[in-house]
Amino acid sequence: MSDETLLRVREVTTTFDTPQGRLTAVDAVSFDLGAHESLGVVGESGSGKTVLSRTIMGLQPRRGVSVTGSVLLNGIEVVGATEEAKRELWGRQVAMVFQDPMTSLNPVVKVGKQIDEVLRVRLGMDRAAARARAIELLEMVGIPAAATRYDAYPHSLSGGMRQRVVIAIALAGSPQLLLADEPTTGLDVTIQAQILNLLDEVQGRLGMSMILVTHDLGVVATRTSRLVVMYAGRVVETGTTRDVFARHRMPYTRALLESSPKVSNPSHTRLAAIPGRPPNLLDLPAGCAFAPRCAYATDRCRNERPVLEPAGEPGHLFACFNPLSEPVGSPT
Amino acid sequence: MNETLLSVRDLSVAFGPRGRRVSAVDAVSFDVAAGETLGLVGESGCGKSTTGRALMRIVEPTAGTVTLEGVDLTAASGRALRERRTAMQMIFQDPISSLNPRRRARDIVAEPLDCWNRATGEERRRIVDELLAQVGIDPVAYGGRYARQFSGGQCQRISIARALAMRPKLLICDEVVSALDVSVQAQILNLLEDLKAEYGLTMLFIAHDLAVVKNISDRVAVMYLGRLCEIGPADTLYDAPAHPYTKFLLGAALEADPEAPRRGEVLEGEPPSPLNPPSGCRFRTRCPFAAERCATETPALREVAPGHQVACHFPLAIARREGAPA
Repeated sequence: MSDETLLRVREVTTTFDTPQGRLTAVDAVSFDLGAHESLGVVGESGSGKTVLSRTIMGLQPRRGVSVTGSVLLNGIEVVGATEEAKRELWGRQVAMVFQDPMTSLNPVVKVGKQIDEVLRVRLGMDRAAARARAIELLEMVGIPAAATRYDAYPHSLSGGMRQRVVIAIALAGSPQLLLADEPTTGLDVTIQAQILNLLDEVQGRLGMSMILVTHDLGVVATRTSRLVVMYAGRVVETGTTRDVFARHRMPYTRALLESSPKVSNPSHTRLAAIPGRPPNLLDLPAGCAFAPRCAYATDRCRNERPVLEPAGEPGHLFACFNPLSEPVGSPT
Repeated sequence: MNETLLSVRDLSVAFGPRGRRVSAVDAVSFDVAAGETLGLVGESGCGKSTTGRALMRIVEPTAGTVTLEGVDLTAASGRALRERRTAMQMIFQDPISSLNPRRRARDIVAEPLDCWNRATGEERRRIVDELLAQVGIDPVAYGGRYARQFSGGQCQRISIARALAMRPKLLICDEVVSALDVSVQAQILNLLEDLKAEYGLTMLFIAHDLAVVKNISDRVAVMYLGRLCEIGPADTLYDAPAHPYTKFLLGAALEADPEAPRRGEVLEGEPPSPLNPPSGCRFRTRCPFAAERCATETPALREVAPGHQVACHFPLAIARREGAPA
C-alpha cells in the first residue's frame, strides 16, 4: 500500500428523489486510495458502483440528488464544490473512462479535435502544440497511423479503437486519478485484454492512481491491489485483492465468486447460484440487505444492520454478523 | 454417440448487394447429436448468431442445407416449414424486449399452444402452470402479472417456458445470459441444465463468454470471421486448443483468480472486414504461424484427435495436447 493518500472518501451517501420516494444509491461509503494504487470496485447492477464513481467525479444532475459526506481529492473537497471548482478538477486531477465508447464521443467531431479540446481548454495549449500532443496521445494508446486517425470520425472506428480514443482524452490532462467505469464491458474478449493491458501500462507509466469499476471479478483479479465489494449501495467487504479472493468473510463475496463460471473448471460444473436477485433500493430490508438471499441469515441479520469490522489482515474489513470462518491452511 | 438430430452442411449466409457483399457465414458444417449441447463461441461479427438464425431460417441461407431429424429445412416452405420449426425453438439475448410488456406471463407462455391449437381450457391452463413452475415462476402468484413487471432474469425464465411449450427437440440459445447479473446468470445456466435433462433437449448454445460456453457444453465450436476454426469436446478443446485462434481467444479470457498466471500473449489488432475477407485462411492476417500456403489454400476441417476437428494447415503440436491434463 502507498504512504500517500490521494483520495479520501468518508461516509459518502448519495440519494435520489424519485416519484416512488427517496432512493439511497450509495450508503455511507468510506475508503482511501493511495497514490499509484489501483482499486477495484465490484458489484452487480444496482449495487451503487457507478453512482459512487460519479459522486467521486462530482458528476450529478442538479435536481433530485443529494450527496453527503466527504470526497477529498488531493486535499480538495469535491462534495458541494461549485461547478467552476469542479471544472478545475476534471481533466487535470481526475478523469473518467465510461463504458460505452460510442456515446462518450461526439459523433460529429473528429477524434483528434476531441482530444485537442482538453489540451487547449484545460492546459491552454495553442492549436499546433495541441495537435502534436494529440497525435502523441493517440500513439500512446496504441492507435496505428495516429496522424491519419486524428482526422477520423468516431463512427469509422471499431469499439476497441473508440475506447482507446476515450482513454487518450482522459489522459490528455495528465490526471492523478483515472476512474474507469466498466471500461471493457461490451468489448470482445481479445480486445478487452488489449484495453486492460493498455490501462495497466499507462497507469504505471504516468504514475496515476486508478479506480476500476466492474461487475466482472475476472477484470479486477490480476489488475488491482485492493477491492471494494458493494451490495445495495453499501460496502460489504474490502481488503487487498488477494485477501478478498482467498480469505473473504462475507457470504455475498463468496456467492459472487462461486456463481461465476470459470474457464479452468471442467464443463458441466454445477454453479453455486445465489437465489433471488439484487434488492429493490426503494424497498430495502431493515437489516443486512443480503439477508433475504443469504444461507446464513438469522433474525439479527434481518433486523440489525451490520457495520464493517476488521477481519484480521491489515485493511481487510467485512460487514456480517455470521461471517464465514477463516480458512485453515491454504485457500482453495 | 447418439444419433444425429441436426446436421448442417456448407451453410453460407451473405448479405448485401453484389460488390458490397458481406459473407457473414461461409461454408459452415457441423452435426449435433440428440441430447447433446453444442456451444458456438466467437467474437462479435464471427457469424455465430447469424448461424443460429439461419438454422431457423429467420435469415435465409444463401447456400447449404440444414437437416433436422432427416428433413431438409432449407427445401421446406410454407406450412411444412412452420410445422417443422415447432421442433426447434430459439431464445434471445435481451429477455425484456423478447416479451410483449403488455401481456401477462401466462398468456405469453400459452401463445405457441394457441397458435397451433395444441390445448384449450383446463388442459391449456395446466400445461402453462406446469411450465411456469418448472422455470421457477410461481404460476399462482405471478402468472397473471404483466411482462413489464418482471426483472430481466424472470423475463428470461418466461422466454424459456414459452420456448418449451411446443416440447421442442432443439433449443437454440443466442447469448441468453449475457445481459444478466452474474448471480442470476448462474441460476439460468443451472435451470437450462436441469430442463435439458428433464426434457431430453438438444441445445445449440451461442455465446461470446468462454467460461459460460464451457460450463454448459458437451462440445464446443469456435468461429472466426464467418468460418468454423475448430470443433471438439469442451474439456479437450479448452485444455489443448489445436487452432492458433482458439489458443489466443482462451489466453485472453479473464479468470477470477488473483493467483492465476497471466496467460499467453495478447492477440494484436482486430478482425478484418467481412466485406473483404482475406484469401485462404481468414485468420492468417493475425496468425503468428501463417505461411504462404495459408494465403492460397482454404484449410478444410480435419480430424486431429477423435471428435476433435480443426481447420488449420499448421495445427498446434499434438505432443502438447497429449501431455495436457485430461
